[in-house]
This record gives sequence, C-alpha cells and structure tokens, in this order.
Amino acid sequence: MSAIATRVPAASDAARGIPVRAARTGRRRPPLVTLLRYLAVALALVFFLFPIVWIIGISVKLPADYLNDPPIWIPTEITFRHYQSVMAEKGTLALTNSVIIAGSATIISIIIGSLAAYSLSRFKTGGRHLGFWLLSQRMLPPVVLVIPFFLLLREAGKLNPRLGIDQHLPLIAIYAVFNLPYVIWMMRSYFSGIPVEIEESAMIDGSTRLGVFVKITLPLALPGLIATTVFAFIFAWTEFLLSLFLTTDIRTVPVKIQTFVTSTGNEWGFIAALGTAAVVPSFIFILLVQRHLVRGLTLGSLKE
Amino acid sequence: MTRLDALSEWSDRHFKWLLVAPAVLLILALSVYPLLFSLWVLFVNYDFTVPGHAFVGLRNFTRVLADPVARWSLWVTVLLSTINVVIEFLLGLALALAMVKNFRGRGIIMSLFIIPLFISPVIVGQAWALLLQRPFGPTNFVLTHLLGHEVSIGWLTEAPWNFIAIIIVDVWQWTPFMFLIMLAGLSNLNPELYEAAALDGAGWWQELREITLPGLAPVIAVAIVFRGLDAFKIFDQIFMLTQGQPGTSTETISWYIYQIGYKFFNMGYGAAVSYLLLIFLTVAATLYASRFLREERL
Repeated sequence: MSAIATRVPAASDAARGIPVRAARTGRRRPPLVTLLRYLAVALALVFFLFPIVWIIGISVKLPADYLNDPPIWIPTEITFRHYQSVMAEKGTLALTNSVIIAGSATIISIIIGSLAAYSLSRFKTGGRHLGFWLLSQRMLPPVVLVIPFFLLLREAGKLNPRLGIDQHLPLIAIYAVFNLPYVIWMMRSYFSGIPVEIEESAMIDGSTRLGVFVKITLPLALPGLIATTVFAFIFAWTEFLLSLFLTTDIRTVPVKIQTFVTSTGNEWGFIAALGTAAVVPSFIFILLVQRHLVRGLTLGSLKE
Repeated sequence: MTRLDALSEWSDRHFKWLLVAPAVLLILALSVYPLLFSLWVLFVNYDFTVPGHAFVGLRNFTRVLADPVARWSLWVTVLLSTINVVIEFLLGLALALAMVKNFRGRGIIMSLFIIPLFISPVIVGQAWALLLQRPFGPTNFVLTHLLGHEVSIGWLTEAPWNFIAIIIVDVWQWTPFMFLIMLAGLSNLNPELYEAAALDGAGWWQELREITLPGLAPVIAVAIVFRGLDAFKIFDQIFMLTQGQPGTSTETISWYIYQIGYKFFNMGYGAAVSYLLLIFLTVAATLYASRFLREERL
C-alpha cells in the first residue's frame, strides 16, 4: 500500500443534497437526457430494493405462498409465525451472541483505537511507518489468519477453556483487532481536523494531557466517533468467515442463518425472518451516519 | 520526588507511546503472532489425521503450486473480482452521474441505494438465492414473461449462469460503494472547467472524457484499491450460492482455504495457500499503488 491521501474537501455537499452541478452550468439538458436519467435511477431503485422487499415478504408469507410456482406477489395471509419459530429455534440466542460479540469488540476497538489515533494525529508517533503498518493490517484478508487462529485457539483452550474455540472472548478480541486499523485511521482523520490551539489553551488552564483528550478533544470529535463506531459495529455484525471457523455452538446471526440451509429442504421462512431481524439495526445506523459514509468507506483517505 | 510523581512524570513523557501501546500490542498478539505461527505451520506437516509435526520443507508450497484446483480457484478469484470491480465501477459511476444533479427525493433515494452496504453478505446471498432458486424464485418467471418464451435457468447450478449469479449478487451489494465515492468525487470537481467546456460547445461525451474522468482519476484509484482488495476475499456469496459447485468450478481462493482447513484438516497445506494469497495480494497492491496512487503525505 502506498499513500492514498487524496483530498476531497466538500464531499458531504453531495450527501446533503446541495445542487452542486446544477448551479455550476446553468445549461439545460434536453428533456430526453433528463428522462433517461430518471429512468436509470428508477431501474436502479427496483434492482436494489427488490431483493430486500422480497425477503421481508417471505418472512411474513405462509410456506404455501412462498413455495408456489408461479410466484405469489401479494401474500394471501400475513403471518408472524416464522419470527416466533425462528426465535424459539435459538434465533434469539444468535441475536444475543451477535450483540455481545459485535458490541464488545466495537467498544474495545473504539477505546484502544481512539487513543492510538490521537497519538498518531497529535504527536506523529512512529512517523509514517507506524501509520502504514497499521493500515497494512486492514489489507490483510481474514482468510489468511483463520488457520493460525483456529490452531492457536485450540491450544489456548487447553490452558483455559474460555480462551478456546467456540467462546465469546476470542472472537471479541479478534474482531476488535480486525477493526483497530480502521478505527485508528478514521479517528486520526477526525482528530487531525480539530485545531491544536483549543487543546493548548486547556493545557495552560492546568488540565493534564489525558484530561484534555477526554474533556476537550473527544467531545469535539463526537460525530466522527459515532460514525466510526457504527462502521466498526457493522463489520463485526455482518462478519461470517471467522465466526464460521472459530465457533460451533456460539453462533452469530450470519452463521445461524446458514444453518437453516439444509440438504433436506431449506427453512426459507426462518432464514427470511432472522435475516430481516438482523437488518433492522443496519437501517437505523444508516440514518445515523449518512453524512460520514464516504469517509467511512475509504478509511478517511477521501475526506468529507 | 516521591515514587508517584516519578511515575506520573514518566507517563507524561511517554504519553504518546502509552497511547499507541495497547493497539500495537493487540495487533502484535492477534495478527503478527498468528502470521508468524502459520509461517511455522506451513513448513511442517500439521494434519489432525497424522500425529506429530514433521518438518517437510517446501513440500506444502510445491503441492499447492501443483494442484490444478488451487490454480483454478486463483483464476476464478481473479476473474470474478476483476469483472465485479469493473461492473461495480461502471454502474456506480453511471448512477453517480445520474444523481449528481439535485432533484426532489434525491436524499431519500440516496439512502435507499446504500442499504446493501450494511447487510451481511450471508443474508444478501440468501436473499438472492431465494430470488433465483428454481422453481419458485421469481426470476425465471419474470424473464419468461419479459422475453415471451419459457426460461428455466438453473442459476445456481449451471455454468455460466452460476458465475453470473455470483456476479449479480456482488454487484448488488457493492455498486453502492462505488456510487457513493464517485458521487463525492463528482461533486468536488471544479465547476469552472464545466463552464469553460460549455462555452467551447463541448458535448456530453467530450465533457465526460476531457473533464470528468481526468478530474475523478485520484478518487477512482482509491475506490478501486479498497474494492479490489475486498473483492478478492469473496467467500460468503460462494458459500450461500454455489458452495463451490458444480464440482470445483466456482471455488475461489477463500473457499479453497476453507475447504482444506475445515473439511480436510490439512493445516500446513492451508497455511501455504494462505501465504501464497498474502504474497500475491501484497505484490498486486504494491504494483497498483506504485502505478496509480500518488505518493503524498500520509
């Protein structure tokens, strides 16, 4: 990885819906082009929304409806029994596991990552090498580490059962580590946007360094902190490969959903219901972090 | 000076290092150490069905290189990730161009477009499997009515349709990523250039080629690195859609490693594949970076 520090100062204008290009040219496009534009957007909407609508639909349809050929578009009866059954089939447990694992991993990576990010941003700790090294961790595909993780956890489990395969703790730690480079880079870019002078004046007033960080810097970086938290949480919430490898009974939601795909016939209703339930937090989070999306997706290398 | 004072003075002096220490230690313990450990694993025979860890030198490596399935899975991965990234880039750019102007409801439509980014690939794969599945998935039904003749494609079982299904799913999930980044890039292009182009009577195509694309180049470069590295990991979709089948035709590298580790328990061999993947990605990313990314302050 080499430097990727392209500046895009006002990207959030696009997200806020400020008419950037319209004001720019003042030239009217022919109606045909406008029509095509709307048509393209409409088609894209259908493409992107239909699978979501369909899976939500299945979650409330009776099996006779969703297994019918030709497909039944409007359910003959709305039922919530898939939700009830899947929750009874350890769906609730899977959701709890996911909340515990993704939640703890996010909190750990946010605390540890923000401290490191602050150090990198304010004191240029370790020069650019440390920053690069941390970023390079993000580029490491999880699949490269599954085998050593699996073997090491097997050994660790012999020493202490809570550190072995199929335990919350190791998965939390591993997700936290996978999130760390991300949190550090994001938070570093947010901290760098806060003027040092504000901190200096607080230092003169007698605050300690840590006090300044907690009382002054962190509150100023709060919007960025929230966005970073959401992205880190979503990573852990949706992760599949590591969870599949390193657990057998402690199943997170993605792993649990996959167990309903069986050779004897799939529980489509269960899959749809648990899938829908798992997507709800994502919907809420999108609304929370809309303005930070671009920065969040590119580790701050494209700034808003 | 009391002991406590000395401690607090020490911690103040080393404040910046104390702040990064937990992060660095955690990464050393849970990323660097496992990597080094697997470096040992790949030189020995680490097989749950064979006791002991006999040193085998480079045998694991040579076995990987000689395995046609490994080579095939590399090709599948390269091919799929290239096609995916290219389509996602083109569609994302087209959508961004269509959305760059403000219109009513633009904000809501933007939020709807980015939903796929936040859904677990497992759920996405499953949702699409439900759409494509024969006989009750609605895709063939809709196609039959649109095309006016009977369509009964085995989307998950017949080549090339299974590859197309994998691509559709990936495109569905990740086009929004390209879209968002392209939209951000577009809205930051210098408006004066467009005004000048308009005065010169430049057409739509010329404007795109002469102004938009060159101006967008750095953003495109960054977007492709991030998406490309991610696309190469493709696993969840394979798991949910084809399980590498039929035969080994849709196996990707990640799927291949999963099979070796999870089904055949040959860890030394799996570690060798993992390392080859790591080397391949590092070389590819370095070459790409030195070619397309500007060296700037980090």
